[in-house]
Amino acid sequence: MDPSFTLPDSTDWISTSLPAFEPLEAALRCEVCKEFYENPVITSCSHTFCSLCIRRCITSDGKCPTCRAANQADKLVPNNALREVVQRFQDARPKALELARIDTPSSTAVNDPGKKRKLDDTDIEEPENVRQTRSRQARSKTKPQYGFADAPIEVPDSEDEEEYIPDGMVKCPVCGKPMKEALVFSHLDTCTGSEEPAGARSTRSRNNTAFHKVQRPQRDPSPAPTRLPGLNYAMMNEKNLKKKFQELGIPTWGNKTLLIKRHTEWLHLWNSNCDASENRRKSKRDLLKELDTWERTQGGHAHVKESEFMKKDFDGFGHANTHKNQFDDLIRNARRKAKAPKAADEQNDAEGDSTTQAISSPIPPPPDALPSHGTQSSVDPLRPYEDNEAALASIRAEVETANRPQEQQLPYVNGEHGGTSEQAHLSEVGIRNPFGSPTRKLPMFEVPKSPVVDVEHSTNSC
Amino acid sequence: MATSSASKRLFKEYRGLSNDPPEGITAGPVTEDDMFLWEALIQGPEGTPFEGGVFPAELKFPKDYPLAPPTMKFLTEMWHPNVYPDGRVCISILHPPGDDPHQYEQASERWSPIQSTEKILISVMSMLAEPNDESPANVDAARMWRERRSDYEQIVRQNVRKSLGL
Repeated sequence: MDPSFTLPDSTDWISTSLPAFEPLEAALRCEVCKEFYENPVITSCSHTFCSLCIRRCITSDGKCPTCRAANQADKLVPNNALREVVQRFQDARPKALELARIDTPSSTAVNDPGKKRKLDDTDIEEPENVRQTRSRQARSKTKPQYGFADAPIEVPDSEDEEEYIPDGMVKCPVCGKPMKEALVFSHLDTCTGSEEPAGARSTRSRNNTAFHKVQRPQRDPSPAPTRLPGLNYAMMNEKNLKKKFQELGIPTWGNKTLLIKRHTEWLHLWNSNCDASENRRKSKRDLLKELDTWERTQGGHAHVKESEFMKKDFDGFGHANTHKNQFDDLIRNARRKAKAPKAADEQNDAEGDSTTQAISSPIPPPPDALPSHGTQSSVDPLRPYEDNEAALASIRAEVETANRPQEQQLPYVNGEHGGTSEQAHLSEVGIRNPFGSPTRKLPMFEVPKSPVVDVEHSTNSC
Repeated sequence: MATSSASKRLFKEYRGLSNDPPEGITAGPVTEDDMFLWEALIQGPEGTPFEGGVFPAELKFPKDYPLAPPTMKFLTEMWHPNVYPDGRVCISILHPPGDDPHQYEQASERWSPIQSTEKILISVMSMLAEPNDESPANVDAARMWRERRSDYEQIVRQNVRKSLGL
């Protein structure tokens, strides 16, 4: 039911063996959008935000959201180190979280340093391979999840030791083969790094990533885009604006106000994309898609489904008129049904309380709340007061009070005795009524636990 | 359906509030189809006449949230210097830093995109405990709070009972 669990959040760590990661992850998230920093930039007051977030804030009021110092969008500087940290943390996060979740709390004390180590390892793409390598092993050994199981795994590592490198030989940084120093450079020209032996050296995975970095610019040689300057909207009429928009390649429909809003948003999207690292930079097509999303949620198309179901704007009378027939049917049915139990009421006065309450409340009262049921449910384990005449008397009194229409008593002062029936009453009258929202299918909130003591009885009796 | 950054952020806050709820506060969207209308339940702080009460409120978020603050309105009768008779809450954190109708608030107390729904609700909870009578939204309640504290507390206690449906 809960789609929110697909959305990673720093609070994910709270229930794991590593609650200390909650503030760590929170620190890697932008305070405006609460996501991981995307293209983080530093303001002139030394605060950091996503490029897009701070650009929107500055357009909105020209101030830093944290300290309210005046800021200008063209003074923002990319925070590359943080960008790297956030990317690496995000790569490591799923596995780390998984391990922290299955980890037993008893080993928590040993865990923390190990887990922090794990963050250092995030530049490695395949941790399994890494564990076989010798120099890495020192780091990965302390990983908490393997614990004592580490010992047998170290054995293949120690085999690596035998494969020592003789004097005058060096390892190829790519495939790890030992060779004469003079030969390394000619070997490097042909080495693909693919056919290296099983006992790969520690440097391999590291250099692999290094190679990716070298190769990327070759694959994607597009030059860094330049930031767009703002326009002086006051100096431009609608026609000039549209001409400018055509040059930029963004939609030209709408009046001047909307055009200005769209252009501002385009500047946010475009300029924040300029703060991205080269390999993460989006294409113009992607940016146009994002502009379209903005158009639908906040721009020219935003009004479409807005507040159709908002409580205040809901046209109750109109709705009642259009569905009058159905309402009439419902009312008729309800009246018919209400009459039948009333007839039964008069026959059995003692059971009357329970019948009316069962109709009006979703939670049927437990048998112990109604002394007249005593003979029928003598085996019921929920009736601890059967032989306690004093308790029964007080319960009777409370049930009567509860069923009186104008009740004068606080529901939660009753303590354990009448708890369940009181809870049913309270949830029906006290809390749910204020939320008479037409769109609500289920009550959002339960009655808080503290006022009602006898919670589990109600679930049992359902 | 495209989700705006505003609804994404609201979803995040909803997650945070349900994963790690602050004491005495429950809040969430009315339906998950519309993240811009929330309901909240605030418990009356202990040691105040509001103690024992549970006060439902409605939060409405603007489309450009978090650049602009939400509005908050109590759905039960509230007798409090900083709550308008119609239930709207008047508290500095709900005011954007740009406009300051009362000229008494520190800019740092007011809304900023780094604030959150949780902080609003916590502020409202402490507002219940400590009214600010410098710029009252409900002048009568403010005067009564200042001059006839026992009468004020009696009305509040009556409202607590009403809020529980008694």
